[in-house]
Amino acid sequence: MGKLRQQVSKWMMQNLDLPADVVMDLPRITMIGQLHIYIENHRGVKAFSNEQLKLKLKQGTLVISGREFVIKTILPEEILLEGSISSVEFENE
Amino acid sequence: MKNKWNNHLKGYVRIEIVGQESSSFINTCLQSGIQIWDIKPIDGKRVEVSISVPDVQRAKALLKQNKLKIRIKDKKGTPFLLKKMWKRNGFIMGMVSFVFILFLLSNMIWNINVVGANPKTEYELRKAAFEIGVKKGKFIFLLPNVREIQRQLTEKMGNVTWIGVTQHGTSYRFEVVEKEIPKEKKVTGPRHLVATKQAVIHSLFVEKGQPVVAANDYVKKGTLLVSGYIGKEKKPELVSAKGKVFGEVWYESKVEIPLNTSFQTYTGKFKNRHYVSLFGLNIPIYGFSDGEFQDKTETLNESPLYLAKWKMPFSYIKKEIRETDGVKRSYTKKEAIQVGKKMAKKELLKKLPVDAKIKGEKVWQQKVSNGKVKLTMLYQVIENIASEQPIPIQQGE
Repeated sequence: MGKLRQQVSKWMMQNLDLPADVVMDLPRITMIGQLHIYIENHRGVKAFSNEQLKLKLKQGTLVISGREFVIKTILPEEILLEGSISSVEFENE
Repeated sequence: MKNKWNNHLKGYVRIEIVGQESSSFINTCLQSGIQIWDIKPIDGKRVEVSISVPDVQRAKALLKQNKLKIRIKDKKGTPFLLKKMWKRNGFIMGMVSFVFILFLLSNMIWNINVVGANPKTEYELRKAAFEIGVKKGKFIFLLPNVREIQRQLTEKMGNVTWIGVTQHGTSYRFEVVEKEIPKEKKVTGPRHLVATKQAVIHSLFVEKGQPVVAANDYVKKGTLLVSGYIGKEKKPELVSAKGKVFGEVWYESKVEIPLNTSFQTYTGKFKNRHYVSLFGLNIPIYGFSDGEFQDKTETLNESPLYLAKWKMPFSYIKKEIRETDGVKRSYTKKEAIQVGKKMAKKELLKKLPVDAKIKGEKVWQQKVSNGKVKLTMLYQVIENIASEQPIPIQQGE
């Protein structure tokens, strides 16, 4: 069932010009240089330290690493992280 | 961004959470709708978090569940700022009272000026204004407006035509136009007119009285000209004689005109030098040349500075250097006489009353000696020679 839904979503995205994050419930990530990273559609914080932020996603984990991290704002679906960001990685279980 | 201002307004606290599971705390906060922001990990165990005041109690309960310790580090926002300020309430009171006093003082009358009134009217006006309430130290907002004051003052003051009242900030200005009451004519007693000097009568204009002399009569000083007795000889009536009696009077004037004179005149060229004088030492500040004039005159203008009534040891000095020129003037004898005549006439006209007329002039004597022309001039002048002489009133008549 899930697979079918995913396929439908993918088809809709490709053929109806709908934004992927809305259709497929994917995170939308906006970065401003190394200073800010803004993530929408996350599913909560897994781990947070000075150098690393792990965010739960619908599928897998987003790992952001860098230095001097501060979570400026956190809302149920949005997060604004400030610091010096060096890498953004996706981890799939 | 809107949230941020809201938080500042409502106040928020910065707390330190000690314990392992900071991320789970963040998640629980999110789920239960507690807003937290500026999450800053200090080390592995401690996290600093901002949280709004109304949410603190709920957060505390959550933290207990998660077995985390809490420590309040800082209190921010308006409620805390106000509390802090209240601790220094003397300071605030000072600020408020300063503004209040400033307000009061700027709404007081500090000055009352009266323009255009003589001292007596000014005193009366000030008194009238005082009665209305316009006095130093009164609050302007307690007084009627300017127009009303003007109306009341004009009513109170009888001897003025108009009073203009204007208010400039903290000072009132009264402009006064005084009524000009015409002078009463002097009531003159009965009198004669007599001659002031020796003269030949030229003409008479008698308004009142009985003329005693006629034209071409020779009169001495003190001669009766117009009598104050009029009417029949047996029953005379006394009047105040009035009129003008013009007589021909001779004047003699002497002038001396030197034939050669030397003058000093300014050529119009000048230089200014400016100094600042410090303890008697003159320091030039502007203008450094003397103009290289051959003949010159110098004038010093010193303007000292005063502090209250003490003269300061420094002053400003302006030195003016003007070029002069020597001029020689020489007259021939004829010219000298001409000039002498003019001078003598000028001198005479200064002495004569306004209504006098010079009828003729004659050179009486002329002498040249020691490079000078000496002239004696005679002038025939027609002037009013009448002066009043009161008639003593006899008792019983």
